[in-house]
Amino acid sequence: MALALVLVWRSTRVVNFAQVGQAMFTTFLALAAYQLSGNWFVALIAAIVGGAVLGVIVHALVMRPVRRQDGSGAIIATFGVLISLQAGASIIWGVDPRAYPPLFDVVGYEAFGRTWPFAPYDALILGVMVILVLALTVVFTRTSLGLRMRASAFNPTVARLSGVRVSQMLALGWAIAGSIGAIAGVLIAPRFSVTPYSLDILLILAFTAAVIGGLDSLVGAVAFGVGTGLVLSLVTGYSDAGNAPIVALALLALNLLLKPQGVFGHHQSRSV
Amino acid sequence: MLRVEGLSVSYGAVQALNDVSLEVPPGRVTAVIGANGAGKSTLMRSLAGLVKPQAGRVLFDGDDITGRKPEDIARMGISLVPEGRSTIPELSVEDNLKLGGMWRSHTQRSTSLSRVYSLFPILGERRSAGADTLSGGERQQLAIGRALMCGPQVLLLDEPSLGLAPLIVAQILELVEGMARDSGLAVLLVEQNATVALRIARMGVVLNLGTVVGRGPSGELLASEELRHIYLGTG
Repeated sequence: MALALVLVWRSTRVVNFAQVGQAMFTTFLALAAYQLSGNWFVALIAAIVGGAVLGVIVHALVMRPVRRQDGSGAIIATFGVLISLQAGASIIWGVDPRAYPPLFDVVGYEAFGRTWPFAPYDALILGVMVILVLALTVVFTRTSLGLRMRASAFNPTVARLSGVRVSQMLALGWAIAGSIGAIAGVLIAPRFSVTPYSLDILLILAFTAAVIGGLDSLVGAVAFGVGTGLVLSLVTGYSDAGNAPIVALALLALNLLLKPQGVFGHHQSRSV
Repeated sequence: MLRVEGLSVSYGAVQALNDVSLEVPPGRVTAVIGANGAGKSTLMRSLAGLVKPQAGRVLFDGDDITGRKPEDIARMGISLVPEGRSTIPELSVEDNLKLGGMWRSHTQRSTSLSRVYSLFPILGERRSAGADTLSGGERQQLAIGRALMCGPQVLLLDEPSLGLAPLIVAQILELVEGMARDSGLAVLLVEQNATVALRIARMGVVLNLGTVVGRGPSGELLASEELRHIYLGTG
């Protein structure tokens, strides 16, 4: 999820608070697809495609018109999208919690005579994320498509003058981020019950991870996504689950005080 | 090559360009000179498609390209080097260059790249360095190099002398003049520094408050009264 936030930031310079809303929506889609097909992978693909389409729709209908104005309008607009998606999902699917089936075992590994809070399923999540980061890093830094996407984000005017179709690149960025968010949503759904609001906590966590990791850095997002996850499972394990968001926000505040550009972020300095 | 007919642009109530006509022939440099706020950058931006004109036409090889998107105009062969050394500091020198002309074939692009490196050897030496580590003059070379990567027939240079040492400006402009002469490139150079611009240009157009107030061969303009009037306020 942190990864999706970083992606939208990198490709459009907007912090997309609607990301969890999009992921929640696609998780419902996946659930519907699962109930129809009975196949976990069909559901995943439905979520990925749905995520991409939803990303493009949000970009085209909301973000593009808003972006013509200033930066803060776009961020507020992402909140608007989040609330609309939650309301929409409540109307379509209702607010009762539903269970999402895991691909396989969610019971923790057993070693040294006790059960650890780390299951084969978590290994799957971790593996998928590592692969995604590697793939995206290669696309972003080694291919001409990645170069066009980065240039469109850094300086749309120069990119357009160079002949890059910037609006296509931005739409593509939103589509990829939507898909990544959808994958994250489906992977994490078995750990929550699926409701229109069940991923709200994730927004705080993902945002924390993305900012601490450096909004520019894919590796940072995932590294601190895992790190934040570990710290928070310790917190939930040893104290009350309700403390997790507080600890996450404390981490965020601490980081902003000490290293505002993020641990893996580049220091922003521009000169003319 | 490029022909501007009666171009008018306004930002709200402010008229930035008023009925401007000019011609940019191939194989030479045409200069547009004028003081700050004369509408020079607006002219360049509307030629490149970044600003939509209210009236008038821009013709490229006889085709009306007024109001086309900047990315389409770039693909047709009109390349703008905007004011203020438009490089992307977050990318390497080579990535900045490779960004130009992505729609062209692989062979065309590698030919252009080696040509840019031979024109501006410093860019070749520093190809993997970040563009933010370059000096002002090097960044101007990089910005021109990126424009050349698009394989343009028309090169639009907006105020390349801004903030650069006179010696570096002279070097860069000499290169541009040589390119125009050797490869038939049509160059439109916009400059506040009239002396520098008119030295390499064949023809010059004087712009004042959005209106063309003088035009002619560079030599005549350099000696003319109008120019003195605009720049020095003497009559």
